[in-house]
Amino acid sequence: DGVAVLPAPQNISVQSTNMKHVLTWSPVMVPEEIVYYSVEYQGEYESLYMSHIWIPSNWCSPTTGLECDITDDITATVPYNLRVRATLGSQTSAWSTLKHPFNRNSTTLIPPGMEVTKDGFHLVIKLEDLGPQFEFFVAYWRREPGAKEHVKVVRPGGIPMHLETMEPGATYCVKARTFVKAIGRYSAFSQAECVKVQGESLPL
Amino acid sequence: VPCISSGLPKPTNITFLSINMKNILQWNPPEGLHGAEITYTVQYFIYGQKKWLNKSECRNISRTYCDLSVETSDYEHQYYAKVKAIWGMNCSKWAETGRFYPFLETQIGPPEVALTTDEKSISIVLTAPEKWKKNPEESSISMQQIYSNLKYNVSIYNTKSNRMWSQCVTNHTLVLSWLEPDTVYCVLVESLVPGPPRLARPSEKQCVSTLKDQTSELKVK
Amino acid sequence: LRRCLISIDMHRIEESFRGIKKAIQAKDTMQNVTILSPSESLHSIKPLDACCMTKNLLAFYVDRVFKDHQELDPQLLRKISSIANSFLYMQKTLQQCHEQRLCHCRQEATNATRIIHDNYDQLEVRSAAIKSLGELDIFLAWIDKNHQGTSDA
Repeated sequence: DGVAVLPAPQNISVQSTNMKHVLTWSPVMVPEEIVYYSVEYQGEYESLYMSHIWIPSNWCSPTTGLECDITDDITATVPYNLRVRATLGSQTSAWSTLKHPFNRNSTTLIPPGMEVTKDGFHLVIKLEDLGPQFEFFVAYWRREPGAKEHVKVVRPGGIPMHLETMEPGATYCVKARTFVKAIGRYSAFSQAECVKVQGESLPL
Repeated sequence: VPCISSGLPKPTNITFLSINMKNILQWNPPEGLHGAEITYTVQYFIYGQKKWLNKSECRNISRTYCDLSVETSDYEHQYYAKVKAIWGMNCSKWAETGRFYPFLETQIGPPEVALTTDEKSISIVLTAPEKWKKNPEESSISMQQIYSNLKYNVSIYNTKSNRMWSQCVTNHTLVLSWLEPDTVYCVLVESLVPGPPRLARPSEKQCVSTLKDQTSELKVK
Repeated sequence: LRRCLISIDMHRIEESFRGIKKAIQAKDTMQNVTILSPSESLHSIKPLDACCMTKNLLAFYVDRVFKDHQELDPQLLRKISSIANSFLYMQKTLQQCHEQRLCHCRQEATNATRIIHDNYDQLEVRSAAIKSLGELDIFLAWIDKNHQGTSDA
């Protein structure tokens, strides 16, 4: 190892939304030089049984950026230790380690984007494609007093899925939320969207 | 007379093609021997057993595939297979597959799809794909009996509105009601088994038209 | 196992195994020996014993196999780490289930587990670990099969 002359990166933190996790840190300033950063992680298994083992991040070993997408590194719902160090030529900083281990079950889940349409009398929903870990709980109801709310599990996102065969002249409303089985958590519901079905004149 | 293992190049791209547990070993001829009369010999191995076994129907064959469905029919076991090329007195070294696990690797074929229509609805009846069987007289085993969580992704395409939507179903009948009369709808069905991803084999697209609306016909008269 | 609901990201574990299958199984040159030996142990387990068997096999992998395997290739190390940490999480989930006494261990599961450990002990430790890693698909398929009722909960 080069002698640790370079200061270690500071202000390490993780931002996580919808199971996308990004590690960020402050720059190590060296005028007119390009500083590289390396990120390593250690799952709970490594910290318990192989504490000497640190694994290079998939995308950021090394990187010149000040953030690292660690989504492909954090692949289990256990605490992960994360550390960053700076490198400039043969100079290498000490490791800076995230103060508290990160667990993906703390990710922020936001309501899914959705597109509610109809094909004749058929209510169709197309949900945002958030990846294979996401399921969607879709609630829909006919807008009338005392309406009963129906719930359907929809998977995957990204393709139009049939929800209900609607009755002529009625209005149907839909809202959805995500469910991530791997962490056992839901997002909030999205805003409801409604569609009105064309009325059908009664036969003679 | 055993052949002499010489510098003859090995067959290449040796893999199992498995659909509904029909397991075909296939390979490419050795490179650089176009026009030569090459024959092949196949052996297989049941993981955990003792020795390589011959497949007599695939000894000195000129085709580049061999049906090992019988030999690999216990889908909860794992297997290897290997092929060598023979040209005259010379033969190549063996070319070997990776470990083949039918239960996880077989592709699930599409169900049979029967459609019937009336003015405003289409009835879809699905018949689960069948596991490969040695001879037609044997009783059929549905792939559903092997994969109890088998389900179907039914895609419907309205050719008039140019809209497509899907539905995931587990039962074998589905009625699409309140459709538009006198309209062609196309249906395509794919079998799905949760677990490791498998190559998809959707059914042939089938298109049917809903009948003309009898009421508007009466009004015209 | 159906009652020990496991909210497990099986998809991710299977994806990680597919990333190591070819390389790890190629290192296993003893094709005539198996550790999980489908016919003797795993496939004779009744649903009643599935939870206990899962717990025992998770412990087998977490406490022995992953420790005995020294992986130098960073890409393989990442995948194996992903599986190891996922198994650790499954253990914790089953532990909660055990505390509610839904994960009862009968003699059948204990015997089947001992066969697996005996198979492991008969091999040189590195070879045993490589072989066990290469047989993860047998264990994962068995979990999938015993877990099917709940995967769409």
